[in-house]
Amino acid sequence: MLDLFLAEFGRNLLSLRRYPLELLGAVVTLSVIFYLLFLGARFLAGPGAEFGGRLEAVLVGYLLWTFALFAYTSLSFGLMEEAQTGTLEQVFLSPYGPIPLFLVRNLSGLLTQGLLVFLIAMVLTTLTGARLSFHPGVALPFLAVLLGGYGLGFAMGSLALLYKRIGQLLGLSQFLLLFLLQAPGTGPFLLLPMAPGASLARGMLAQGAPLDVWGLLVAFLNAFLYLGLGLFLFGRAVHRAKKQGLLHGY
Amino acid sequence: MARPYLEAHGLYKRFGALEAVKNVHLTLHPGEILAFLGKNGAGKSTTVKMLSGLLLPDRGEVHLLGKNPFREPLALKHLGAVLEGNRNTYWRLTPLENLVYFGVARGLRLAAARKRAWELLEEYALLGKAHTEVRHLSRGMQQKLALLQALIHDPEVLLLDEPTLGLDVETALLMRDKIRTLAQAGKAILLTTHQMEVAEALADRVAIIHQGEVVVEETKEGLLARFAGEHYVLELEEKPPLEVIKQLRALGVEGEGPFFFRGNAQALWQVLEAVKPLPLKKVAKGETDLLEIFLKVVGHA
Ligand SMILES: Nc1ncnc2c1ncn2[C@@H]1O[C@H](COP(=O)(O)OP(=O)(O)OP(=O)(O)O)[C@@H](O)[C@H]1O
Ligand SMILES: [Mg+2]
Repeated sequence: MLDLFLAEFGRNLLSLRRYPLELLGAVVTLSVIFYLLFLGARFLAGPGAEFGGRLEAVLVGYLLWTFALFAYTSLSFGLMEEAQTGTLEQVFLSPYGPIPLFLVRNLSGLLTQGLLVFLIAMVLTTLTGARLSFHPGVALPFLAVLLGGYGLGFAMGSLALLYKRIGQLLGLSQFLLLFLLQAPGTGPFLLLPMAPGASLARGMLAQGAPLDVWGLLVAFLNAFLYLGLGLFLFGRAVHRAKKQGLLHGY
Repeated sequence: MARPYLEAHGLYKRFGALEAVKNVHLTLHPGEILAFLGKNGAGKSTTVKMLSGLLLPDRGEVHLLGKNPFREPLALKHLGAVLEGNRNTYWRLTPLENLVYFGVARGLRLAAARKRAWELLEEYALLGKAHTEVRHLSRGMQQKLALLQALIHDPEVLLLDEPTLGLDVETALLMRDKIRTLAQAGKAILLTTHQMEVAEALADRVAIIHQGEVVVEETKEGLLARFAGEHYVLELEEKPPLEVIKQLRALGVEGEGPFFFRGNAQALWQVLEAVKPLPLKKVAKGETDLLEIFLKVVGHA
């Protein structure tokens, strides 16, 4: 498994290198956003009121959004691309089985993305001299959000496997994702995917709330529930795709 | 005979109204090449996909070294496949990167995959292209790489769906040699191809599938002998007189020299009586080849 992870990670890094424009785009976008935020931090003395909270809250909110979006869409885009180019069947010949393999893929994708963000943040904090300070504990609700995001990602992956062209649907449903990340973390909203983790993270960043252990527990419970559901649906979709011969290209 | 590596029992597959595969039984033994022949749309690739766990049969079972690949994906360690079409590898990766990736995805350790990748690239004369992206390779090289990708984890069973498609003469011959060598090393190989000479050169056994059903399955020798048994070729040193020719025609002999005679060995003596005492040049059982047999079988079936 570790070897598989390394191989997937290597493949990710190679694809970053082979698609330099995509990489450039990601780097530029991230840099600009970071840079604006840092500039804001420097010129707006103290916590920038314009940002509706602390600078870090905006930054982490943005990162949460990009990572969640990545978790939500990357499997589907990967499946669609591989079905089209014809490598999907070979991937399904892996003795690891599709679900462990795609889980490892997701994990290595996350690490790649994380590394990229980390590097850019490092370079820019050095260049601008800006300081970021937030509770490292915020990583925990962040993680819960991502797990839920991957659950939804597997659910969408099921559709991608069976219906191939779901790019439009993925694009439209991003609004749903935005809603989930903004939903309040109370009452019935706690049942929505990603919502409890997201609201917890928001609270910690914006109001400087301490890590709420119970809230975190709920967030992880929610996350594993949706991850489990996503994996279950994906398993069913694989079965159906194998039954109907849908693993090859269009 | 050793226990088969791969067994398929009573496979059925239906796509909507189309019964693509009906009651197919196949076995693959160690060291054996089975040529799996059939016209376009006969059901070859459908069968191959069922054998490799990619397509769930409606009925029937597949056993890969005794295990069901649908229930135990781990069994796929024993299988390598070149699937139909030319996209068995990542176009944006190099051959080396592809082989290492697929080696690990098939269960090898990273270091082992790397070592094996280099060995295979060397053996198949692709070392010079180890670092060229696959999309920049020639079609033949891509096809070779597809085979290497199937070999990377050294599986016992190889399913090759048209592996020699679109190769130049030299590369096709190299592939043939390699496939033969692989069988000699004990691998069980199923090979689909439309190139009858490839099948004839390599096959130990031949299965012909027609409209989803296996209509012929026997050893190549047996098959060739069975169909060769149907006619004789007769050549004389000189053109026989008209009288003799008339007699021959009456016996059902065709041709103008060489003459062809369809019939059994006893009836052949009547023909020989008829030409006696003209000097004979050659009497032989008619040769046949897989192409002829194939056309007969799928033409009639
Ligand atoms: N996923 C699918 N959905 C619907 N029909 C299919 C599917 N896969 C194959 N078929 C049909 O099943 C039949 C057998 O196809 P198959 O690909 O097995 O033929 P083949 O023997 O490999 O032919 P070829 O020599 O052209 O490769 C064809 O009529 C094909 O259209
Ligand atoms: Mg085919």
